Amino acid sequence: MVKYVHVSSDLSVTFAALADPTRRAIVARLATGEATVSELAEPFEMSGPAISRHLKVLERARLISRGRHAQWRPCQLKAEPLKAAADWLDTYRRFWEESLDRLDGYLRELQTKEKKHGRKK
Amino acid sequence: MAARSDAVVADSPERVLIIERIFDAPRELVFKCWTEPEHLARWIGPVKGFSSTILACELREGGSYRMRMRGFDGQDHWQQGVFREIVPPERIVRTFCWTDAQGTPTLPETLLTVTFDDLGSRTKLTLHQAVFESVTAGDLHHEGWSSALDNLADYMATM
Repeated sequence: MVKYVHVSSDLSVTFAALADPTRRAIVARLATGEATVSELAEPFEMSGPAISRHLKVLERARLISRGRHAQWRPCQLKAEPLKAAADWLDTYRRFWEESLDRLDGYLRELQTKEKKHGRKK
Repeated sequence: MAARSDAVVADSPERVLIIERIFDAPRELVFKCWTEPEHLARWIGPVKGFSSTILACELREGGSYRMRMRGFDGQDHWQQGVFREIVPPERIVRTFCWTDAQGTPTLPETLLTVTFDDLGSRTKLTLHQAVFESVTAGDLHHEGWSSALDNLADYMATM
């Protein structure tokens, strides 16, 4: 059968990394193309080390990768974990849509019963 | 069959799920089905064959909610949350989290808001689930990043 609840530790790491607005903004910026640390730091009133800490979290979650050159290490977005996160939302959608289908049937059943028994109950 | 056209309205980069649906039943009844354990257990859960047991449903602000779903395979899944707001028969707001048997969250908490609109003999239900509960639109606009988020939505759409 289809598994509806995917409890994956990778996914937890992805969501934990994305749970911070600054890190989400960094991810959103990288969706437009690679960028250096100073380019990423620009819109924030935040020190270089603070940004670096955020980048480390994203890197550990494998949401970004960084170039090898020490001087200029552009950050790049990695699609796979984001895709997994999007799929996860899809499992919620399915959970609710199927539940609501059942609710629809159940409401019908309740109302038919009510009609049969009049308003006695 | 009630309009199963009930579109999924949005799936934004902030990971918000919105589902609207119209039921052929008065609002009080729909609300009751969402708030009384004996009714809830009859429909909540993805497919027929899943059996749901409502372990707690303390219908008050700060009250807890916990249910167990047992799949065909006998595997159990737990879901729990805390009611944040209850306005009968209009609105329920509660946190929503998958947990293990001990109640330890297995994924980040989300915020679930269910709104019931009275359409006479019918009811419009709007379900809103935000994956990043802590995020407010304010946060994001503050940073001036909303266009970047649009880009992210476009990007994710291509996956």
